[in-house]
Amino acid sequence: MASATPAVETDGLTKRYGDFTAVDALDLRVEPGTVVSILGPNGAGKTTTVRMLATLIAPTSGTARVGGHDVTREADAVRGVISLTGQFAALEGNLTARENLVLMGRLRGHGKKAATTIADHLIERFDIGEFRDRLIKGLSGGQRRRVDLAASLVVQPQLLVLDEPTTGLDPRSRQVVWQTVRDLVAEGVTLLLTTQYLEEADALAEHIVLIDHGREVAAGTPTQLKARIGEQRVDVVAIDAAGVDGLHAALDGRFDVTVSRGSRTLSIPAPEESLDLERISAVVRESGVPIDELALRRPTLDDAFLALTGQPPAPDPETDGEEVAA
Amino acid sequence: MSTETAPTPGTPLPALPARPAVVSRYVRETLLLVGRQLRTIPRVPERLSDVTIQPVIFTLLFLYVFGSAIAIPGTRYQDYLLPGLIGQSIAFGVIGAGTATATDFSTGVIDRFRSLPVTRLAVISAQVIGQVLEQILGMAIVAGLGLLLGWKPDVGAGDVVLLLLLILLGLFAFTWFGVLMGMIVRSSDAMQGVGFAIVFPLSFLAGTFVPIEGMDAVPQFIGEWDPISTLVAGIRHVSQGTNATGSWPLEHPVIGMVLWCALIMGVCIPLALRRFRTTSAA
Repeated sequence: MASATPAVETDGLTKRYGDFTAVDALDLRVEPGTVVSILGPNGAGKTTTVRMLATLIAPTSGTARVGGHDVTREADAVRGVISLTGQFAALEGNLTARENLVLMGRLRGHGKKAATTIADHLIERFDIGEFRDRLIKGLSGGQRRRVDLAASLVVQPQLLVLDEPTTGLDPRSRQVVWQTVRDLVAEGVTLLLTTQYLEEADALAEHIVLIDHGREVAAGTPTQLKARIGEQRVDVVAIDAAGVDGLHAALDGRFDVTVSRGSRTLSIPAPEESLDLERISAVVRESGVPIDELALRRPTLDDAFLALTGQPPAPDPETDGEEVAA
Repeated sequence: MSTETAPTPGTPLPALPARPAVVSRYVRETLLLVGRQLRTIPRVPERLSDVTIQPVIFTLLFLYVFGSAIAIPGTRYQDYLLPGLIGQSIAFGVIGAGTATATDFSTGVIDRFRSLPVTRLAVISAQVIGQVLEQILGMAIVAGLGLLLGWKPDVGAGDVVLLLLLILLGLFAFTWFGVLMGMIVRSSDAMQGVGFAIVFPLSFLAGTFVPIEGMDAVPQFIGEWDPISTLVAGIRHVSQGTNATGSWPLEHPVIGMVLWCALIMGVCIPLALRRFRTTSAA
């Protein structure tokens, strides 16, 4: 019997904006010391969910507790245990990186000296040194994200929430963020991470909750989900529409083919990876249909949705419901 | 690789001190956040232009261009104009405070503050205090320039104190209004537009540059009940000893000004706080 208070526990958590339901009766549980990822496409309700947890917006109905504190009735206590790093760097653009970190430390309750010590420690840890005295507004996206992440750690939070920490980042900055997340996890920080990348959830999280339209679609460990999604896939890209038909005729029946006409792509699960790749390429060669591309690849979020719900993820409601609705 | 610099186990980071009582926390957090605003000023000097360049232009324009055609019986135009300009500057604070607030709210930084265990009132008080401090600078420039160009206030030591208190009260009241507007409008461009559409005409109808008594019936009526008129009349009454007529607040300009400011703050502060609790960055 685990008796520790869950880091996050929501019960029927719902947020509606007029007729639009951004988050729909979400039950979420994050055990202390674990990493949970909310995975979903744009507009699925990820940001709305974490903003409710961070007390930035009030739930329409349902409850959410962070570290045992209710987000509406004990908001101040919740703010004391949670740190949120949002999609958009929430820093003062006209202060330097270091000034921002010292300010955040002091707002958290540290004295000037302690806040400076901590800021300098974070500057070293996140490799901010070379731009620590530059104004935030002059930094690149990746640099800002690092400062933003550091700003979330001026006190060791009971729960660190990272909202799409790598969206829009270049591969190198993404690696830095991933490494940081892994380090934090090793230190025992409880982490809730939202992402649109299956690969990222797989790499970082112990438990994945797949959501769409604000609703949970599937949940489990990465291994469990991948067992249902299929490890790798082979994509065959035809030259034209006739090619798609020709390839479909050749491959269908022998493999579990999913056809995407828009991208002229036939996609096939490849549990045996390179062996499947060989089998499929043999069939394609025999058919004599010319192709553009034939490749083995990791499953994407789209594949996951297809495999777990039988349909691709819903297109974005209007523009981007999560943002406009706030 | 680059994140290999883990903390050395021997040197633990400072622990968070015990939380002080709510009042001292509020004061501390407000000061920290005001400090943040003041430190950004030298980095965006253009933001100060509406409290510095603009009043200077108005002062020169009215003193030397329009003033040549305006004759106020029984007084020199400098002595009529300067209290008016000070009142107008207070009113223009609505636009400055609103624009700054809208800008702040359109970035994520306010959300960051809101997600911290910082009292909500501190975040918003800091916004107001920071704006008031900026406007005091503008006010000093207008008054200094006015004195240089021949404005002669007819004041004793007690009047100076009363005058400064009235100006400060006016600044706070109009800034609260501006902060509320900025939170509602949420775009600095829109705030500039809306602000000018409201404040600009009202500040001209307020007996700022020409007496209200000489206006047409409709502007005269608006002018008599315009809070900016009371502001101008109050300042003029204390600094030059002149009296206005036309409506109760104009005939009792000092009490009228205090009441107007109390009313504005009484309405705007609760609305701004409520708005702050329910709103967030776009």
